[in-house]
Amino acid sequence: MKKLIFFLFILSIAAFAFAGGGKEEAAGVVKVGLVTDVGKVDDKTFNQFAYEGMMRAAKDFGFEANFIETQQPTDYEKNIQTFAEEGYNVIVTVGFLITDATYKMAEQYPDIKFVGVDQFFENARENTLGLGFAEDQSGFIAGALAAMMSKSGVIGFVGGIEIPPVIKFRKGYENGAKYINRNIKILGVYIDSFTAPDRGKAAAEAQIADGADVIFGAGGPTGSGGIVAAMEKRVYGIGVDQDEYFTTMGGGPAPYLLTSAMKRVDNAVYNALESYHKDTYEGGYYVGTAANGGVGYAPFHDAASKVPQDVKNRLDEILKKLSDGSLTTGVTL
Amino acid sequence: MRAATGNVQKEYLLRTLSFCVLTLVVNILLILFSFRFRSDHSVSLLGFGKLGSIPIRTATAILILGCIGLAGSIAPLVKRLKVEVNVTFYITATGVVSALILWAAVGSIFDMVGLVALSLRLSTPIVLGAMAGMLCERTGVVNIAIEGMMLTAACVGFAATVYLNSLWLGLLCAILAGSVMAALHAFLSVSMITDQIVSGTVINILAVGLTGFIRRSFLVKAKLSRTAILPIISIPLLSKIPILGTIFFTNQPIVFFMMILVVLLTIAFFKTRWGLRTRAIGEHPEAADTVGINVFRMKYLNVMLGGAVAGLAGAWFSLETTGSFDDMMTNGKGFIALAAMIFGKWHPVGAFIGGLIFGFSDALQIIFQIKNIPIPFQFLWMMPYLITMIVLAGVIGKSTPPAADGEPYIKR
Repeated sequence: MKKLIFFLFILSIAAFAFAGGGKEEAAGVVKVGLVTDVGKVDDKTFNQFAYEGMMRAAKDFGFEANFIETQQPTDYEKNIQTFAEEGYNVIVTVGFLITDATYKMAEQYPDIKFVGVDQFFENARENTLGLGFAEDQSGFIAGALAAMMSKSGVIGFVGGIEIPPVIKFRKGYENGAKYINRNIKILGVYIDSFTAPDRGKAAAEAQIADGADVIFGAGGPTGSGGIVAAMEKRVYGIGVDQDEYFTTMGGGPAPYLLTSAMKRVDNAVYNALESYHKDTYEGGYYVGTAANGGVGYAPFHDAASKVPQDVKNRLDEILKKLSDGSLTTGVTL
Repeated sequence: MRAATGNVQKEYLLRTLSFCVLTLVVNILLILFSFRFRSDHSVSLLGFGKLGSIPIRTATAILILGCIGLAGSIAPLVKRLKVEVNVTFYITATGVVSALILWAAVGSIFDMVGLVALSLRLSTPIVLGAMAGMLCERTGVVNIAIEGMMLTAACVGFAATVYLNSLWLGLLCAILAGSVMAALHAFLSVSMITDQIVSGTVINILAVGLTGFIRRSFLVKAKLSRTAILPIISIPLLSKIPILGTIFFTNQPIVFFMMILVVLLTIAFFKTRWGLRTRAIGEHPEAADTVGINVFRMKYLNVMLGGAVAGLAGAWFSLETTGSFDDMMTNGKGFIALAAMIFGKWHPVGAFIGGLIFGFSDALQIIFQIKNIPIPFQFLWMMPYLITMIVLAGVIGKSTPPAADGEPYIKR
């Protein structure tokens, strides 16, 4: 009896763990699958953005869309393979850390098209399309704004794991701030996790204690922890990837959230899926820049009254200059 | 027999010798390092809150640290002094860390009070988690599910806060959620005699799914993403004491709970009947049963108490720190807590020190990055694990778990 109860218990856990898996397939419909980085499709970061882009495309082009949320980095390949074996036509994988798994699976399943968010494939195949973003441009704008809004002449940065997208955000931020004020002091901390808001917060608090009065948090929930610290200490915060006014701040009020350095992952994924629909999909690399609307900055929302008009104008001008190429961020990796 | 004793002695000598040589090398490097600051007459500024800052000649200070360490590493070799190797190890470790701080303090004030306060705060969930583990393991139940209990508590506590509109009720719910998960662990491992590692793993995985489900189905849909955080409390009078008042008596509630629990559990484990019974069950459950202790009831009680403490640790993440819940936000701290527990030799004060070392290295890592010290910060993050491994290897003092730890008790 005891054994039976235990067995049923384990079974229920298993059922729970695998719930939300596959659906019955309809013949002839294009099937699109999305594999997240460690995280969820509503985790307020690029996972959610990519998911939203996919769903929009699915609606517009009549795709059948599904997703798998990765629990462990060791599951990347397995999750991609699940879609591949189920006969999906396009598989979207999200995150820099999933690059190798995506490429390996693309080799194994040459008939399936792959779209990799935040990924760059060294030897791009016909079926691998990497979506990159000019994080440096987005960070540059954030840095310029931070420098213009800082009174103390010290600004801070809280990053997640030290990987290329985060490094580009940081370097862009630094160069943008120096573009405005050559003598500005920029503090910065990387935290070796994207899901440690407590440590991100501690890092921001230490920077605020050292005089920083603007904090740019770039690194998922870890970076958001930094912004939360800024809100509490009543110094300015700048979000990342999406408009954190709606995500981290839950739609406000957030009088100290200046803006967010945006990465329009949703648009990029949508465009990639549109290209599949129109049969113009090509393997290679797509970069979302200021010029094609791939990066930018979010509205000021509640902080709008605190940002002087000339700062707003200057920021617009910088965005325009970055778009037409008359200004470069000077960031190289 | 005599040969065996000889071998043990030989082994002991070899261990002492190799340790002394190691610390000797480190300290010589430290002394050489001090010359780096000699030429430019660097001065380190150590800040002590309102008391102002103390300027110290960097080169001289590091030189002195190196010399003390050097003396410390030779001392165990002189039999008459009766200095043990672990003393050597701690002297050298302290010397190295102090030297790094002095280096970071060159030119700009290094806020020592802030560093210790930050360490204490960051160590809170680790110390609480370690004590949760201790409550379970002292009664012979291995609990690797602290991470899962913390995560569940963080999530439930946040959800309850939002729905009940009260932080304190939320905190209570977090504690309850921790004990409910612990009750599940007790049911599986004590009543069902499941392998305790398997049961713990199952709970950890369950917690990830459960909290993700709660978050997606209730919190995100209802657009509930933020709440206030537990307030900072200043103890009257005590908080006015310079330095100590800032570090220990001006904190958020869970930090206070943690410090109180360290004292309380130390007394409870070693001075009360409950503690004696608990330890008896952990060492020899049959014997405890023979003298009339209800082993099963005690195991359930202690595991659930442990869950409650883990719940408090979970609330630290969502209610005391960020005022929000994110997936997997406990981020492995539950496992680090186990390391702190082992480091502390299953003693609350030891766990406190162990947790502080982890918190300290994280705080130091953050501050070094801000100060732009060119040491790879991953190195600092690695330090406490290194120390734990050294402790585990039995090089400096043995860390022995309760004798019946992890063994299911089957009543005959």
